[in-house]
Amino acid sequence: MDLFPLWLSLRVSLSATALTLLVGVPIAWLLARRRFPGRNVLEAVVVLPLVLPPTVLGYYLLVLVGRRGPLGQALASIGLELAFTWGAAVLAAVVGSIALVIKSVQAGFETVDVQLEQAARTLGRSEWSVFWSVALPLAWRSVLAGTVLAFCRALGEFGITLMVAGNIPGRTQTLPLAIYDRVQANLMDEANALALVAVGIVVVLLFGLSRLARLRY
Amino acid sequence: MSGTVSVAIEKRLPGFTLDVRWEAEQSVIGLFGPSGAGKTLTLQCLAGLIRPDAGRIVVGDRVFFDAATGVDLPPQRRRIGYVFQGYALFPHLTVARNIAFGLRGRPRADRARRAAEVIERLGLGGLERRYPAELSGGQSQRVALGRALAIDPALLLLDEPLSALDAPLRRALRDELREILRAWGTAAVVVTHDFTEAYRLADRIVVYENGRVVQAAPRAELLWQPASEIVATIMGLRNVLHGTVIKATPDRIQLSWRGQTLEAVNSPTRSYLPPPESPIAFFIRPEYVRLVRKDRGAPDPHHMNLMRGRIVGEADFGTVWILRLRLDAAGEPAQGGFDLEVEVPHLVYEILDIERDRHWEFSIHRGSIHVLPA
Repeated sequence: MDLFPLWLSLRVSLSATALTLLVGVPIAWLLARRRFPGRNVLEAVVVLPLVLPPTVLGYYLLVLVGRRGPLGQALASIGLELAFTWGAAVLAAVVGSIALVIKSVQAGFETVDVQLEQAARTLGRSEWSVFWSVALPLAWRSVLAGTVLAFCRALGEFGITLMVAGNIPGRTQTLPLAIYDRVQANLMDEANALALVAVGIVVVLLFGLSRLARLRY
Repeated sequence: MSGTVSVAIEKRLPGFTLDVRWEAEQSVIGLFGPSGAGKTLTLQCLAGLIRPDAGRIVVGDRVFFDAATGVDLPPQRRRIGYVFQGYALFPHLTVARNIAFGLRGRPRADRARRAAEVIERLGLGGLERRYPAELSGGQSQRVALGRALAIDPALLLLDEPLSALDAPLRRALRDELREILRAWGTAAVVVTHDFTEAYRLADRIVVYENGRVVQAAPRAELLWQPASEIVATIMGLRNVLHGTVIKATPDRIQLSWRGQTLEAVNSPTRSYLPPPESPIAFFIRPEYVRLVRKDRGAPDPHHMNLMRGRIVGEADFGTVWILRLRLDAAGEPAQGGFDLEVEVPHLVYEILDIERDRHWEFSIHRGSIHVLPA
């Protein structure tokens, strides 16, 4: 059995989770702690990926990164192509999962007592240090939960991926797409095996999460 | 002038305006007043956590904030030790790391030495590895103090430092806190809504009411000469009463109350001279009302402002009794069902057999009737 889809999915999901954290945690911090113009707009935009149909999201992403799209053209001018590559699958997974990270981490930051951050400021700590020494260590549980959710969501991404990365066996065919393909081809044994692998990964992750959540800090 | 804390700030919030100015030589300054009067807001402005709309804050020779020149030091650069209400200890750090939290930027050996010194001076030895959740109320308070003192602050701010504790501990820690403040000699601003606490901890007390300062005075002056009826009420003084002026001179004020003529000492320093017939507020401390013993013959010449009344209510507070007296005079009693609250020691209550004998003559020395300027 060809295990390429499994390895691709793991690679895509890990990369997407890392990117999601990198972008999502600062946004979550902004939403939880800062009042700035456009905050409400940002808050609404953040949840859009959760409520829009994946194919609609995928369509707009394709318009953006396709050969004639603004981002696609910019990338092409430096010799890069994103659409229908594994990078597009990462982009799809980021878009599909970032709302989960932002919402979960934002809720985490909001439960941190503002006074603790103020105390850190009076003790001479910069905003950067307040974030790393106080906010993040106290909200790590929700960051972890958001990470696991994002990874699972990225692993299961189907609709957006299909639109921007396609379903090219050996290149962009991720685990969910492979399962779909096998079912279409009536290869039920292979579909079954791949589906079990997906279930296995998610169950192990969720179990690990519940164990970790019992730690204090 | 160096060595002075000078605050003059305005801050408008929805439904509340803070507009205060006070100045004090560096020592322990008490901000005293009811909840919601703006005391904590003042601390936050001092620490730079909230930016006033207008005004100026100067501590020693350093300008923290000046709306006119656009100076506004961030909290990081004010070197203020802030002990928050509820302490705000970092729950994920040990006692030692909480105390060393503000020492980042110094050499490692320096940091360790300073933290150890603070831990030792505050008697926190042995607790270094504990987490805040494993500390008692008193220990938490000392850790919070230690964390603030470790940075050798220019000014220490304490927000209701005892309110997180229960009553018996509260009193013990009030005195402990007083000792620590004296021993470290750091200038401090203490916020409290409890007058006893303000009096025990502070040298100078600033009284807040609804976003304004209603009196600022050395603690003894505040205790004996509240500036107005508002201050007396905030201090929780009992027997705040209203009469009419008969005659006022620089050292005596004669007034009429409930059909009685009372003589009070006027404060020569304040030379309050209200015209005759004008309303006047005054208070009488319950422990300064003297019952006249019936087993003694001729009235004692020390007795003045003699009145008669009946006990209409009483409460046993263990070592003292609080009696509620109603004058034999006609008309509505001054305080609902009674005219005066009187405090007598338990022993006196027994000796005079007050339990059975309910009708008394009593006197108030003119020095115990305190006039409250309007």
